[in-house]
Amino acid sequence: MLRSSATINPCSMCMPMGSVLVFRGIDSCMPFFHGSQGCSTYMRLYLAHHFREPVDIASSALSEKGAVYGGAANLKQGLKNVIEGYGPKAIGIATTCLAETIGDDVPQIVREFQAEEPLARKVILFPVSTPSYSASHEVGYRVALKVAVQTMAKKSVQSGRINLLVGSIISPADIRYLRRLFAYWEIDVILLPDISETFDAPLTGDLPRMPAGGTPLCDIADTANSRATVTLGTSVQEPGAGDYLEKEFGVAHTPLPLPVGLEFTDLFAGKIEELTGLPLPKDYETERGRLLDAMVDAHKLLADVSTAVYGDTEIVLGLISLMKELGMKPRIVATGAANPAFAEAAQKLAPNAKVMMEADFSEIEHEVKAREIELMVGPFTGRRTARKRRIPLFRVGFPNHDRFGASRQLILGYEGAMRLVDGMANTIIENRDGSTEAYRGGSE
Amino acid sequence: MIVKIFEGRDGHIQEKGSSALPLACGNESLAGAVSQRACVYSGARVVLNPLTDALHLVHGPVGCASYTWDIRGSSSSGPDLYRNSFSTDMKEIDVVFGGEKRLASALRALASQFHPPAIFVYSTCIVGVIGDDIVAICKKAEAEIGIPVIPVKSEGFRGNKNEGYKAACNALLRLIGTDDCVSKNPFRINLLGEYNVAGDLWCVKPLFEEMGIEVVAALTGDARVADIQRAHTARLNLVQCSGSMTYLAKRMEERYGIPYKRISFFGLGDMSDALRTVAEFFGSDGMMSKAEEIIRRETARVGPKIDHHRSRVSGKKAAIYMGGAAKAVSLVRAFQELGMDVVIIGTQTGDRDDYQKIAYIVREGTVIVDDANPLELKELLIRQNADLLVAGVKERFLAYKLGIAFCDFNHDRTTSFEGFDGMVNFAREVDISINSPVWRLPKKRTCRIKRRTEAQEAPGEELAAPSETASRVQAMAAGDAIASGGEDAPQLCDN
Repeated sequence: MLRSSATINPCSMCMPMGSVLVFRGIDSCMPFFHGSQGCSTYMRLYLAHHFREPVDIASSALSEKGAVYGGAANLKQGLKNVIEGYGPKAIGIATTCLAETIGDDVPQIVREFQAEEPLARKVILFPVSTPSYSASHEVGYRVALKVAVQTMAKKSVQSGRINLLVGSIISPADIRYLRRLFAYWEIDVILLPDISETFDAPLTGDLPRMPAGGTPLCDIADTANSRATVTLGTSVQEPGAGDYLEKEFGVAHTPLPLPVGLEFTDLFAGKIEELTGLPLPKDYETERGRLLDAMVDAHKLLADVSTAVYGDTEIVLGLISLMKELGMKPRIVATGAANPAFAEAAQKLAPNAKVMMEADFSEIEHEVKAREIELMVGPFTGRRTARKRRIPLFRVGFPNHDRFGASRQLILGYEGAMRLVDGMANTIIENRDGSTEAYRGGSE
Repeated sequence: MIVKIFEGRDGHIQEKGSSALPLACGNESLAGAVSQRACVYSGARVVLNPLTDALHLVHGPVGCASYTWDIRGSSSSGPDLYRNSFSTDMKEIDVVFGGEKRLASALRALASQFHPPAIFVYSTCIVGVIGDDIVAICKKAEAEIGIPVIPVKSEGFRGNKNEGYKAACNALLRLIGTDDCVSKNPFRINLLGEYNVAGDLWCVKPLFEEMGIEVVAALTGDARVADIQRAHTARLNLVQCSGSMTYLAKRMEERYGIPYKRISFFGLGDMSDALRTVAEFFGSDGMMSKAEEIIRRETARVGPKIDHHRSRVSGKKAAIYMGGAAKAVSLVRAFQELGMDVVIIGTQTGDRDDYQKIAYIVREGTVIVDDANPLELKELLIRQNADLLVAGVKERFLAYKLGIAFCDFNHDRTTSFEGFDGMVNFAREVDISINSPVWRLPKKRTCRIKRRTEAQEAPGEELAAPSETASRVQAMAAGDAIASGGEDAPQLCDN
C-alpha cells in the first residue's frame, strides 16, 4: 500500500512504547530508554493516563554532547544511578531513534559497564533495539519479549510446566484472568509478561521503588525447561520468543490468536486440554454457556450492525471474529501497523470489509464517511472521528485516556467476550434516539 | 541531607534557612534519575500548540506526534485544527535517504487539504541527527503555498524544555509584525504565557474588556494566526508564564518598543494586582477606579464561596511541583489566601532568579527542589507530611499511592483556575480532594481467621512443584496474591 506523505491522527505508537509493557511485566525490571529525556517523559505520561498508575521510565538523558560524541557515558551513568536508586533485579534498555541513529553499540556499552561496575553484576541488563521509525509499538513489544527470553532462558531440569507467553498488549485484568484460570485449572504455567499488578497496583499507602508483581526472573530462566509454549496473540505477528524457545531448547511452540470471542477461546481451551490432558474446569464450561446466553440475548440488537474496528492487530482480529459470531458486520477493519499477514487474516474473517493497514484516522474517517457505520470499536484515539461522524464508540484496548477502568477491562475468555457483547450492545442503546425504553421487553 | 537518593543531586534540594548556598539549577538532568522534565520539542509544542487555526506538523517518527496529540487542555472559541496530529511519520528509508522530500510533499498535501493560515514545522531528534534542512524546505514551501511556513528548531536532545520555549518564541516572532492593522482603541495589550487551559482566558479577558482594554492577542491561548500577526500593535505585554515567554517579551521590547510586565491571573491577590498594573500603566484615573470597582465587586461575589472552602482546608500542608517557576510562585500566594502552608516547592526548569524569589516568599523549613524525580518527590512528601500535591499527571498517581490528595495544575486540567471564578474552582478542588472520605478508609481489613501462609512462604527460587498448585489455589481463594518469588530471590535462580 502506498503511504501518503503525512500521517493525520495516528493509529499507532512507536517501538519503545511496546517495550515498556514487557519490561514492566517482569519482576523488579526497570524500563530504561537510551535517548533524550523527552521520550521517557512522554511515554510515562501516556502510560500514566491509560493505567492511572505511577510509571517510572529511566533515561540516559542524552544531550547535544551525547549526540555528537556518543552516548556511552550517559548510558553507563544512567544505569548506575538506576541500580543505586531503584535496586532493580533487571533493567530493560530500549533504544530510541536518537540512540540508533548516532550509532551507539548498546550491547557493547552494556558489556563494558558490567565489566567495570561491580554493582551491575547482580542485575540482568538486556538491551533491546527499538528504533522508533522502524515499526510500531506492537513490534517493539514483541522484540522486547523475545530479547527478555533470549537473555534469561537457561536449560536445566525439565519442569513439565507450560510457557504462556502474552504476545500482544492486553490489560492487567486480562492477565489476572489468565492467572486465575490456570490456578483453578491446576496447570502450572509461566505467564510472561505479567503486568497484572505492576500496572494495576492495590493502594496500600506505600509506593515501593519497584512495583510488586511481574514474572519472576527465575521463571523466565525456566521457560527453557517447559513442556510446551503457547503464545497468545500471535496469529499474524512474528512468532518471536516462542519460536526461539523451540529452536534453541526444543520446547514445542503453539502460536494462537488472542482468546477473544467464542471460537478463539474454544481454540485456546482445546489446545491447553490437548497439551495437558486436563479438561477445562467445569465453572469455565458454565461460563461458556453463559456467554452463549448473553449472545442470544443481544443477537437481535446487534444483528447487521455495521462496525468500524481498529487498533492493535491481534485484538482487532479477535473482535471481528466475535462480531461475526454475533451476526454483526465489520465493514472497516484497520490497524496502524504495517502487517500484510494481518490484512490477509482480517479479509478472511470479514470478506466484505474494507481492510486497512498503516492506517491513520484521516483515512479511517474517509472510509467511515463512505459507509453507514453504526458502531466504532477500538482505542480512545478514534474519539474525534466518532464524534464528528456521530457514531457511538465502544472503547477497547490501549490507549484509553478518557475513561476510567482501562486496567480493569477484560476482553479475554468467555467472560471477556460476555463483557464485550454487553458493552457493545449497551453503547448502541445509550446512543440511540428514543432512549432505552424500546429495548426493555422481549420485543426487540 | 534532606533526602539522599542519587549522587550529585545534593545541591538541588534545600530547606529554607538551612543553607547559605544558592540552589543548584539549570543543569542537564541526571541520567537514570527519572527526571520529570521533557525535551526541547515538548517545550516548543506546548507553547505553540494552543494556536487554534494553525497546522502543526511534526517532522519525525510517529511517536513524537502520537504522544502529543491533543494533550494540551487549551480550549478554542472556534477553529479546532490544532487538536489534530500531523506528522511526516518518518520511516527507516527516510532516515537513510533523508526526510526532506517527504516533508516537502507533506506540506503541499496538507496545505491544499486544510488551507491553514500558517504551518509550524517541528523538528525532532532524528531530524537533527540526519541533518534535514527544514529551514530551506519551509522557505521553499512558503513561496509555493503562499502562507507562512515556519520551522521550529526543536530537536529533542538540544537542551531542555526552556530551549523549546525559545524555539517557539522565535517561531512566533516570524509571525508577529506581519499585519499592521491597528485598532482604534488606544488601550491595547497582549497576554503572553496565557494558554487558555480549560478556558482560563475567558475568566480573565472580560475583566480587561470591562476596563476598556483590548486584548490584541493571547499567546497563545485561543489565539489565531491573525491575532499573532497583529501582536506588535499592542502597547503593553503582560507576561504570565515567565519561563516560556520572557524571551519573547524582551524581543518584542527590542523590536517594537513594547514594555512588558510580569503578572499572574491566579489567586485573588495576583488577579487584582494584574488589573491594577494595567490601569497604572495606561495612567488613566478612570480606568484605575474601574479596576478597583471590579476588584471590589468580584471579591465580594466570590468571597463567601472561597471562605467556605478555606474553613475546610486552612492549616493543611501543600506541596507544589511545577514545570515553570511563575506558576509555582503564584500558587504560594494562592495557598496563603486559603490559609494553607507550603511545605515543598519545586520546578522542572527554574533558574537562579526564580529560586531566589521562591526562597523569599516561602517560610523557613519549606523544602525547595529543582528538577526532582519520583523517588525524591516520594521521600519529600513523606518527610514534609504533605496533605496535598499540586503538579501534573505524572505526579498524580505517585501522590495517590501514598494516600495524598492531588490537584492537577497542568495541561490536563478541565477546570479553569484563573480569575476570580477560577480561584473558587481551585479552592473547591483542593477542598474536595483533601477532605474526601477515600483517604480515611481503612487500608487494611481486620481478619480474625488465621491465614494459611505456605504459598507465601514458599521460597521463590524453587520451581513450583505440581503439589504446590493446590496451596496456590487455596491462597487465592483466601483472597491472597500468589507469591511470585520471595524477597530474597536471586536475579536468576541458577546463577
